[in-house]
Amino acid sequence: MKKHSTLKHAEPYIWMLPSMVLMCVMIVIPIVTVFRLSMSKISKAGVVKGFNGFENFKTILESPTFIHILVNTLIWTIAVVGLSTLLGFILAMVLNQPFKGRKFVRAVVVFPWATSLIIQALVWKYMLNADYGALNVLLVKLGIAHSYINWFATWQSTFAWECWVGIFVTVPFVTFCVLSGLQSIDSSFYEAAEIDGAGFWKKLTRITLPLVRPSLTVSTVLNIIYVFNSFPIIWTISKGAPADKTHTLVTYLYQLAFSNGKSGEAAAVSVIGFLILCVFAGIYMVMTLKAEGSES
Amino acid sequence: MKKRKPGATAALYIFVFVVCIVTLYPYFVTFVTAAKDTSEMYAANMTVFPKVWEWSNFVDLWSKAPVLRYLTNSVIIAGGATALAILCGVPAAYAMARMRFKGKTFFLGAVIVSQMFAPVVLLVGIYKLMVDMHLTNNLMGLILLDAAFNQAFAIWLLRGTFLSISPEMEQAAKIDGCGTVRAMTRVLLPMAAPGIVTTLIFVFINAWNEYTIALTLISNDVLKPITVGINTFYGYNFIQWQYLFAASLFATVPVIILFLCIEKHLVSGLTSGGVKG
Repeated sequence: MKKHSTLKHAEPYIWMLPSMVLMCVMIVIPIVTVFRLSMSKISKAGVVKGFNGFENFKTILESPTFIHILVNTLIWTIAVVGLSTLLGFILAMVLNQPFKGRKFVRAVVVFPWATSLIIQALVWKYMLNADYGALNVLLVKLGIAHSYINWFATWQSTFAWECWVGIFVTVPFVTFCVLSGLQSIDSSFYEAAEIDGAGFWKKLTRITLPLVRPSLTVSTVLNIIYVFNSFPIIWTISKGAPADKTHTLVTYLYQLAFSNGKSGEAAAVSVIGFLILCVFAGIYMVMTLKAEGSES
Repeated sequence: MKKRKPGATAALYIFVFVVCIVTLYPYFVTFVTAAKDTSEMYAANMTVFPKVWEWSNFVDLWSKAPVLRYLTNSVIIAGGATALAILCGVPAAYAMARMRFKGKTFFLGAVIVSQMFAPVVLLVGIYKLMVDMHLTNNLMGLILLDAAFNQAFAIWLLRGTFLSISPEMEQAAKIDGCGTVRAMTRVLLPMAAPGIVTTLIFVFINAWNEYTIALTLISNDVLKPITVGINTFYGYNFIQWQYLFAASLFATVPVIILFLCIEKHLVSGLTSGGVKG
């Protein structure tokens, strides 16, 4: 009988075992490895030459490149998430209205969400090419531009275009999250508000925004993480060029590790990125579990 | 809904029209470029549409690079990762939805947190692990990684689905003498089918579109998935845009269709399952 009850106690853990083993091996071990490597001296060939304390962090943090890249990462994350959220919210409000062809528009908005980032990055790289890019061809044919424009003339313009591609691929996710929130709002709220003479802004700020806030929170927090970690767009369009000016944290660490053979420094950048993500993760976890707690 | 003013309706249509044009433009470019001849690709006097529609590009591309091999690899990786993610995710989600146990909050928290760490941040560690396990240039390595990094999302969506189904039917089945496993497979899983299918497709699409890990771990051409393989057409001196885009279309269209099938379920799963639990 006693044995039986031990088994009963262990049962939930047995059910979770496969999943936990998979995640521990594939996620936890790499996390530990990254921390270990960040404090190791590593040869170009990838051989660990022993512990060197915070030497890698010192090298990274002392280089002006890294500070520039941290600022880039911040701009990239805030610009892409912020503008996508704004655009996605407006689009969701529009798609929540009844109009002819709404189904079609909803389907179209799904496209960038379902398409691989690498393919979208390649298409935009082609379209923005200065010599034969489709955007220049179109602008000249339409008479908007007189000659081909070099969209990637400066690192700032390159980075701005990368942000645009980031926004382009992120908007659908926000739109559908907000849309699901909007659809759950009871229309009687609006009817009552109209009887009380509330205008568009009053309805927006007093009814819509408070009620879609949970959906908006999920989409914003998840997007912060996705965008912060986004690699293919910048890697495909500029690879950080010119002179490491358009890197974000993840493309920089990829270049350090797999192009420059500086695994130790790359691991240090990983740890810094990891710690930044931990802050986001902590906030997200507290919010999610709080929402969970208030529900039950 | 009350009637809109005509001005508002016009504004709505203009807005929606612009959104559609901007969104579809890259797909339009992909399509027309895929049908252009090489000679038109870098010509001085470029046109929007091809001067001659080279439909043969869509046939030729299969022999220019092992595109069929790439697509097959993608199917194997995405299919394997999906199967593994669901096989591990269903029992875990079931325990988290139906059972009471010590440390449940901790496990839930761990699942949420693991969602935060995209592989790219851990790539140095992942690479080392895969080298140690002899899983570089191996499809199994990608299957394991894709399954693991989708585990959090799968558990979260599945748990949300299970919670939305009343446990009474399973309890009745148990009273009738079914074990927990039978009660789950015979009673709960059929009812949870829509949520499971959504999770399946979502994990499949994620693994299908994955690029960064595959780029790092696979250098052997015959093992590349399509996302990495299409870069064959992106040479350093000479880019074969027409084949690159034709292959991209083959990689994209099926996924968009799959996505359109689950879009409704996925979004409600994201926000309700994700936040409220």
